[in-house]
Amino acid sequence: MKAMNIIFFSMLALLLAGGIAAQAEEAGQAAVAAQEAYDEDAYGPEAPIIWEKPVKAVVFNHKTHTKDKKLECDACHDSLFEQDTGAAEQKADFTMNTIYDGGYCGACHDGETAFASDTRCTACHIGARGENRLRQAENPAETAPAHH
Amino acid sequence: MNVTINTVLSILPKSGGLTVEREKFFNISIAVLAALSLVGIFSGVYALWAGHEHTFGVSREIPWGILIAAYVFFVVTSTGLCIVSSIGHVFGFENFAPIAKRAVFLSIVTIISGFLVIAFEIENTWRMPIANVIGFNLTSNIWWMGTLYGLYLVFMVIEFVMLQLDNHKLATACGLAGLLTGVVAHSNLGAVFGLLNGREFWHGPYMPIYFIVSAAMSGCVAILFFTYLAYRFNGWAIDDKLKTSLQSVGKLAALMMAVVLFFTTWKMIAGVTGNPPGKYEAMAYLLHGPYTVNFWIGEITLGLVLPFFLILCVRAESLRVIFIASVAGMIGIFFMRYDLVVVGQLVPHFADMGLVDYPEMFSYTPSCLEALTTMGGFAFCGLLFLLGEKYFRGHVSSGH
Amino acid sequence: MDIKKLERSPSEDLSAISSRERREFLRLGLAITGLYLGGSVLSLVSVKDAAAFGGVVPKIGEYPYNPHYTMVIREELCIDCERCKEACVKTNQVPSYGYRTTILERRRQLTEGKSETIFMPVLCNHCNRPPCVRVCPTTATWKDEKTGIVMMKPSRCIGCKTCMTACPYNARYFQEEKRAVDKCDFCWETRLSKGETTTACAAACPADVRVFGNLADQKSRVYQLIHTPETIVWTLRPETGALPNVFYTNA
Repeated sequence: MKAMNIIFFSMLALLLAGGIAAQAEEAGQAAVAAQEAYDEDAYGPEAPIIWEKPVKAVVFNHKTHTKDKKLECDACHDSLFEQDTGAAEQKADFTMNTIYDGGYCGACHDGETAFASDTRCTACHIGARGENRLRQAENPAETAPAHH
Repeated sequence: MNVTINTVLSILPKSGGLTVEREKFFNISIAVLAALSLVGIFSGVYALWAGHEHTFGVSREIPWGILIAAYVFFVVTSTGLCIVSSIGHVFGFENFAPIAKRAVFLSIVTIISGFLVIAFEIENTWRMPIANVIGFNLTSNIWWMGTLYGLYLVFMVIEFVMLQLDNHKLATACGLAGLLTGVVAHSNLGAVFGLLNGREFWHGPYMPIYFIVSAAMSGCVAILFFTYLAYRFNGWAIDDKLKTSLQSVGKLAALMMAVVLFFTTWKMIAGVTGNPPGKYEAMAYLLHGPYTVNFWIGEITLGLVLPFFLILCVRAESLRVIFIASVAGMIGIFFMRYDLVVVGQLVPHFADMGLVDYPEMFSYTPSCLEALTTMGGFAFCGLLFLLGEKYFRGHVSSGH
Repeated sequence: MDIKKLERSPSEDLSAISSRERREFLRLGLAITGLYLGGSVLSLVSVKDAAAFGGVVPKIGEYPYNPHYTMVIREELCIDCERCKEACVKTNQVPSYGYRTTILERRRQLTEGKSETIFMPVLCNHCNRPPCVRVCPTTATWKDEKTGIVMMKPSRCIGCKTCMTACPYNARYFQEEKRAVDKCDFCWETRLSKGETTTACAAACPADVRVFGNLADQKSRVYQLIHTPETIVWTLRPETGALPNVFYTNA
């Protein structure tokens, strides 16, 4: 009886250990693949840009536009956006109205090339909650209080 | 002032009854209980002064915590003791007469202890006397509960005084009045929970009904507990009359436990069948979630099943076993009150809306100060109980 | 993906009659049947849009107050910039541990593993049948007879917190500084009573999400918004029977 138990549990332990190892390996491979695949020189910075003006907590991902949607750098730089960090935010006309009229993001986000800038607000406006979450994921030490 | 003191002195029995023999032991116990009461009162006063936000575990989401549970525990016990005392005093069942005087006294003690703990949970207690009068709200169950419990206390005190003065006619009248106000007040306490439409765990007619049934059970358990304790503590001998009386109360207690078990069973079955939204989550928390120990060990085992079978096994004869059953019952009943109050608030307001970063269930843990204040309430109850035994000489009925 | 654009695009499929035509046809059918069936169905046709509300919008002419203060939340426009929260905190001196209004976040699964975020502003619903008012033992909170605003009188509050347990919307909190329960009063004390016409949160909203006004006035924006054809208007937790006065729509 006791022997049976021992055999049973060792088998169970083996199975479990095997499963965990396989999972870890998979995760590791995925991480390596992701790292190798994203080239910041070709696709722009990997970290998302979070705009604070004209309203806070708006996100832009280079990856979504360059790697996923196959846009070239010069599709936006420097005709729509200067390449310097925060350059657009300094400009007085960096507003939703300009975007609706085809400026900045609105050049593509017109409803034909890409979803119109007056729809799907929360696709880019991740909100104070979304920004909090993003910053926490980037830097877990920086704990912002999340209310319920 | 002198008149008051004289009145109090005049109702104290001068001779007869039972006397405290072990003075030293008694005094040490009084000192310990008084110290604990003071610790509790200081904790409560400090929490009021500093604000619950900064001192208690209660929150915006869970506004009612362990102090409300303790309050419910005390007033359920008080109402129950009033019911038990009325069986002998008001309705004339001789078997219940020997425990009645103590039951009346303890119903006063427990309601005062209840008021003591709730005074620290209500953040502006001092506004109550005026605000409750000039702002009276007849649709508010808590207004009725508070007002009627105030009245109830008056009736019970008069009844007790009349019992001391051997004015049994007036005592019986006040006992009946106290019983009626107590039952209405107590069912209103149930309605405080039961009439909240947004709180599915509580909502419905179950609460007021359950509160009365459970009061009857608690009253039996409490009088068994306190009577036996008083006699053992002071080394008094239980005479045959009292023994028979306690055995009868024991039988009634077992019956009421069976009834409450029946109530609880159907409450749980109704709460899980068809997964009623807002109710099911709370039930699951009790049945197989974080409150499982509270529910299965505390409420069901200690509060109902164990005492029921203990009393059944000895056919309600051995007082020692009945006492053990009552100890288990008292502990279990506290779990019942705690779970009733807390679990009713755990289901979030916007559950099942697919919210992100929003708790699936709220949580509550009493803070240290909350626990100390609660303990103070229990110590105070014990203190008054012991003092009562001494100064009313074992609550021995003289008039019968 | 974008349903609005999809509806506007010309129909290329012969089998797909435009939705407008289909509705007109159905309306004709209902009207004719209604003629035979009598008033009930006719009235169903005439309040066709009201039927979509699921009964949460009071019937025309049945607004108990005047002004009947109401807020309409145009939910899909909310971007959680939280300027409303900041304005509320500043205007009404809300302490850091509390809030009168906040923004919750919903996530809805879409096809292909994608999801969309919906921000949901919440505040006191100033219910027509407010559970908090019913339970208050001292009438420290009440429904204003003129405006329908659920008010608080701090000096009367005994701090029993029954209103907090009774509120289906978690709109109340105990403010230690005031030693009373605090809640949204549609900025009555800080703005409306001083002649302002809107709340601080609505004034601060850059996306025109929060629209505040008098539902009893048929020309008001709030009235127009919740009676816009072919839109759905909903309230939170209507099952509690509290009859809330904060309406949600995507109009």
